[in-house]
Amino acid sequence: MLLHYATGLGILVAGGVHLATVFLTGPYLQNLAFGSVLAVYKNLILAATLELLLLFVDYHALNGIRVILIEFHQGAGWERGVSWILAVAGILLLVYGTRTILIANALA
Amino acid sequence: MLGEHNFGVVLMAEGLAKELKRALFGWFYPVHYNLERWAYALQRVSGIAVTAYFLAHIVETGNVVGGMGVWNVPSGDFAEAIWTATFHFLDNPLFDTGLIVIGFMLAYHSINGIRLTLAEFGFLQGKPSRPDFPYEPKSFSKAQRAIFWISVLFAVATAIYALNVFFGV
Repeated sequence: MLLHYATGLGILVAGGVHLATVFLTGPYLQNLAFGSVLAVYKNLILAATLELLLLFVDYHALNGIRVILIEFHQGAGWERGVSWILAVAGILLLVYGTRTILIANALA
Repeated sequence: MLGEHNFGVVLMAEGLAKELKRALFGWFYPVHYNLERWAYALQRVSGIAVTAYFLAHIVETGNVVGGMGVWNVPSGDFAEAIWTATFHFLDNPLFDTGLIVIGFMLAYHSINGIRLTLAEFGFLQGKPSRPDFPYEPKSFSKAQRAIFWISVLFAVATAIYALNVFFGV
């Protein structure tokens, strides 16, 4: 659970940067236009922050769901099943999100 | 043999339904419990809500490069067309209202999460003392109560800010 708290604190920082780029750097709708969004992915520091945020939220959110599910029902098989399914789901999400960041960074 | 098996499945389904009902009431119905229980219920609800948003957000932002089928660098025009269509699809009062709720949940979850992190590592804990009526939980100290109310205030402020961004009140 130490990782749950650590990623939570990491999200406060990386999520703060993410929200600031969307809401505090100009009008909201303008920041979501294709060119502005792409500029974020092409900025190496912001793209790295997004990747970290993805990693942190991925772990924190799915571990949170895992905790809820193994509190809901106790049993070694149930706990193993829930943990494995959520671990696989977490890896798939991480792969998909990382794909977005890498391709957006490479887009012409 | 088959009948017994079916009976077992029915019993299991009944047990699961009962368990689910008990869990949902135990977690999400804090009426008649103390404030700490409300903080806990809201932390769970907001966690689940933000997780749902996270899943949708990863799918949605995947459209910046053209969607789920894209695994090589596509043409910029193709990606821009897909993203612009996504952007227009999401730009309506229903989704904006959803984002205001998510903003509230996220703000609450963040500040209350700081309280939980501090408590986890032993800060802001009440001193052990003789249990006296009305048996207020000593673990939920004054400082922790303050952070809880700050988290609620911060959540309301975030919702008002989001309301202004999306609807320009």
